[in-house]
Amino acid sequence: MADTFEIEIATPEKLVIQQHAEFAEIPGKDGYLGVLPGHAALLSELGEGALSITADGKTESLTVSGGYVEIRDNRVRVLADRVER
Amino acid sequence: MPSLIDIRRRVRSVRNTQQITKAMKMVAAARLRKAQERALAARPYARILQQVLANVAEAASQSPDAGEQPLLAVRPENRILLVVITADRGLAGGFNANLIRLAQNFINSHRDKELTFELAGRKGRDYFRKRVREQIRGEHIDLFRNVRFEDAEKIADAIIERFSNSEIDAVYLFVNEFKSLLASHLSARRLLPIEVPKSQASADYIYEQKPEELLGSLLPRYIRTQIFRALLESAAAEHAARMTAMDAATSNASDVIDKLTLYMNRVRQATITKEIIEVVSGAAALE
Repeated sequence: MADTFEIEIATPEKLVIQQHAEFAEIPGKDGYLGVLPGHAALLSELGEGALSITADGKTESLTVSGGYVEIRDNRVRVLADRVER
Repeated sequence: MPSLIDIRRRVRSVRNTQQITKAMKMVAAARLRKAQERALAARPYARILQQVLANVAEAASQSPDAGEQPLLAVRPENRILLVVITADRGLAGGFNANLIRLAQNFINSHRDKELTFELAGRKGRDYFRKRVREQIRGEHIDLFRNVRFEDAEKIADAIIERFSNSEIDAVYLFVNEFKSLLASHLSARRLLPIEVPKSQASADYIYEQKPEELLGSLLPRYIRTQIFRALLESAAAEHAARMTAMDAATSNASDVIDKLTLYMNRVRQATITKEIIEVVSGAAALE
């Protein structure tokens, strides 16, 4: 099992983040999703709230709202209407 | 024969024009770079959304209680909305004219249909206002200096609402797509009803929400992104077209200046020769 996964966060205007991470906490529409490497394929609407990414032991937090989150093949792709650092 | 002063005056006037075209070219080049960057930056989102949509649509179509999606409804195309995206400004070669011609051809071959228009860009608006004023449903100008997603959203939502209410049966989008510096591609494609892109590798997702529910919110978002991308592409293509047009104009001005200078020298020589002949023959007559 891989120890990191790839995470991409895109808004309609630009790709905000593309990096590797060890853990991510994503606000789904029906509750928070904790994502670790090797997560099963998943598709959900994105809720509103803080999205945090942990990489190399450091945690970064962003505020996102509206959109989707797709997880497959050890890749997390977040399509958000708005992202604020 | 025009006098030397006349020719000099013309050379000066052409040179002034050349300075303007040169400046416009530089401005277009700078704006093009920015527009191109923005168009590129918007691609990942559009690409991912398309893939997600393809997967969800497939899952939703297999679901037993797949509801009817209003944005996928195929009806006989009797009432057609044309979305025409032109530029706000001219002096960009055939940029606006070509696109308007494409739309006009479509209109000519659909005379029996009920056509309505949604226009972005001042040039297209001016053209259609003179011809089909009553059929224009929306006008959007001054978008291209800084294309914002909210603008695309506004246009898209108006279209989506009319389509969902069955006020229109199909939506076609006319836009200049940015290909490269030298080539833009005229595109006319159907926006609604949505033709769902084929998924290459469908994954067995865990769906947090029902696929048909997801599809219901994905489809409008897809249209918004399509329109947003069209606006960005059009902005980039406009600057590219203007840059090429102004480059051509600048070198044409150089040619004209060269020709005029040559002509001017010839006139000057002819005048001098004539004066010498006059002096010589005057002297000869005295002998």
